[in-house]
Amino acid sequence: MIRRVFLGNEAIAWGLLKEGVSFVTSYPGTPASEILEAVIKFNEQYELGIFAQWAINEKVAFELALAHSWLGGRSAVSMKQVGLNVALDPLMSAAYTGVKGGFLLISADDPGPYSSQTEQDSRFLAMFAKIPVFDPSSPKEAMDMIKEALELSERYRIPVMLRPTSWVCHARQGILLEEELKPNLKKLSFEKDLCHWAALPRRRYVLHKELNEKLRSIQKENGFKRISFNGAKKAVVSSGFPFALLMDVLKSLGLKGSLDIYKVDRPFPLSPSLNDELSSYEEILVLEETYPVIELQISHREKTRGRLDGTVPSQGELKPESILRALHLLLGNFPFEKINDLKEGSPPRLCSGCPHRAAFWAIKKAFPQGFFPSDIGCYSLGLEMEAVDAFLCMGAGVSLAEGFYLALKNAGQKIPPICATVGDSTFFHACIPALIDAVNKKAAFVLVILDNATTAMTGGQPTPSNPPKNLRKVELEEVIKGCGVEFIKVVDPFDFPEMERSLKEAYAFSQEKEAPAVVISRRPCPLFEKETHKRTFILKLLRKENCKSCMICVSESRCPALEKGQQGPIIHQDLCRGCGLCAFICPNQALTFTEV
Amino acid sequence: MEFKIVIAGKGGEGIIFMTRILAEGAFSIGIPVISSEIHGMAQRGGSVISQVKLGEFYSPFIPYGSADFLIATSKEEGERNKIYLKPDGISVVNSPDPSPFHVDASGLAQKINHPKGANLILLGFAINKMGFEEKPFLEAIEKCSPSFLGEKNKKAFLFGFSISREKVAKPLE
Repeated sequence: MIRRVFLGNEAIAWGLLKEGVSFVTSYPGTPASEILEAVIKFNEQYELGIFAQWAINEKVAFELALAHSWLGGRSAVSMKQVGLNVALDPLMSAAYTGVKGGFLLISADDPGPYSSQTEQDSRFLAMFAKIPVFDPSSPKEAMDMIKEALELSERYRIPVMLRPTSWVCHARQGILLEEELKPNLKKLSFEKDLCHWAALPRRRYVLHKELNEKLRSIQKENGFKRISFNGAKKAVVSSGFPFALLMDVLKSLGLKGSLDIYKVDRPFPLSPSLNDELSSYEEILVLEETYPVIELQISHREKTRGRLDGTVPSQGELKPESILRALHLLLGNFPFEKINDLKEGSPPRLCSGCPHRAAFWAIKKAFPQGFFPSDIGCYSLGLEMEAVDAFLCMGAGVSLAEGFYLALKNAGQKIPPICATVGDSTFFHACIPALIDAVNKKAAFVLVILDNATTAMTGGQPTPSNPPKNLRKVELEEVIKGCGVEFIKVVDPFDFPEMERSLKEAYAFSQEKEAPAVVISRRPCPLFEKETHKRTFILKLLRKENCKSCMICVSESRCPALEKGQQGPIIHQDLCRGCGLCAFICPNQALTFTEV
Repeated sequence: MEFKIVIAGKGGEGIIFMTRILAEGAFSIGIPVISSEIHGMAQRGGSVISQVKLGEFYSPFIPYGSADFLIATSKEEGERNKIYLKPDGISVVNSPDPSPFHVDASGLAQKINHPKGANLILLGFAINKMGFEEKPFLEAIEKCSPSFLGEKNKKAFLFGFSISREKVAKPLE
């Protein structure tokens, strides 16, 4: 046996490779990002020779993996839950067409949410698409379920979903492995299958019927386990991470004997034999994350408790305290005292030395009365600098800017300067159609593309304009030009006056030509660009007598390296990366950088 | 043997690295381990915690009032997260204030010329208090550190581990 401590996402990657998956794609997104990262790492380490690459977005990732499956190879595609919204179109259709090689869709949910726009439950999308879904409770279990999921996928020629949540993906667990990974590439077979791959609407009806028959057969395979069976009058049905919480809570309370416990591995389709078994209980409590997917499939409505009757909260992640409360409401045989929740901690901020900070500062200066749509990425944190007024979902930064402009124009009202911000990775992901639309419709706004040469928020994955060495680079400027944009200017945001001037110039152009104008704010993220990380200078409050303690350096930069002090700012030298913005902002030239 | 440990700090201070060393070291000597850590948006300089459970557990979550150890990279985070600590739990907090449960990890890290090593000084201190040998954790540091930092990191850990012998850590008031 080999002893390894795996992050949940590493365990999932290992499970995929162990089962001979030879094609893995993804678009980064918390909490799923490290799945493909780990696949890439293991692929290199064990020289497996499989295809493991980032795609431009989740829809493309899904379709690439599906093509591999249609050629008979085992395939996987991973994404975060809101990424699945982007890939929903191919998913719905692939459920009808079916697959050939085992096809695993991994959609990682983020109850809380910690790093997402919604708390949506991907299991509902599995139900909506009519495909089976597995719901692991730990890294080890996620790894083990992959075997069963792929076999099921091949047996019924159906896409299968694995739905981990944040605390499965980002749990670290000691795991015993049977053996190391070995190369296991199989030959693909190209055979046309028009009846499935190219089905016209009339044939689609037949495929729908096939899909329903598949589901009926899958339902007969149990997909649940009896964990403890004492002939109790009440039962708990649980799946995923809440099951792990439940087991620890029951152990600490010494309550294991007073309940029968069922663990559901496959929440959809739920096995009818679970409903049969549950019929003998007086009360049933369902503990699952995040929506009532199992609960809605339980036929004994009048005696089922869970999210629908408020026994379990309808929003937010489940914690030991919420499990305790639900058990207290069910059993009432132990005291329960509500503990006040943890006080809110410091919110996240743009890092020191972040080029976005300088860009946001310039945007505020250039357009004091502006309206600022933005997008999904580190730069959503521009909110703190009051340079972000709205964001919705990947790509909406551009369409919101266009929509606000067109709406106000159509209403004949005064239009404030509109300046949208999107990241480079987000631009490629979903902004291109929106930008073409804005050019078509003569929407006059400034679009700032914050080009830090990486997908920073999720850990620095490559982008189409900064790909790994063996891939071909796609120039951001060329794409923007191809969208029909006539004003494109590339600026280093650390050239503060030039950044502000360029923004004003772009705005003037947009107004004159009734067209979007693009400023590319280009500087690599200091977290992933080690060269710029080297420091040769330190920040000093050089002319103390000049400092009027106005704290403009702190309030306008919102830099983590600066803090309000009694007399002047406190400088955290260990955090400062020397971007120079605070020294530039200082109205009294009190701050400066000196060489070390 | 069972331990529940909360590690609290801010994103970027090496909380995930501490979690990893603790998990790797403990598992290498045969103790089952499950832990949680925060990635993504919340990690950008905001308050973060890791929870580590050593022993037979299903989930990494620690109910309020039940942690055996709280390791905090600042007084402020120590104060905020003491809700996790059980009444006789031990806290190890990074702070220059003289107090039995405070360790001036940042100051000591400057002294050994490894300012980013404050997290490992704290971890070394706490691991000694848990009664473990230093060896499996030094091996974990060696394995998980980038090559140019391995020696410095081990030195920081050992420094924390050795001063821990002379100091008695006590619960927060």
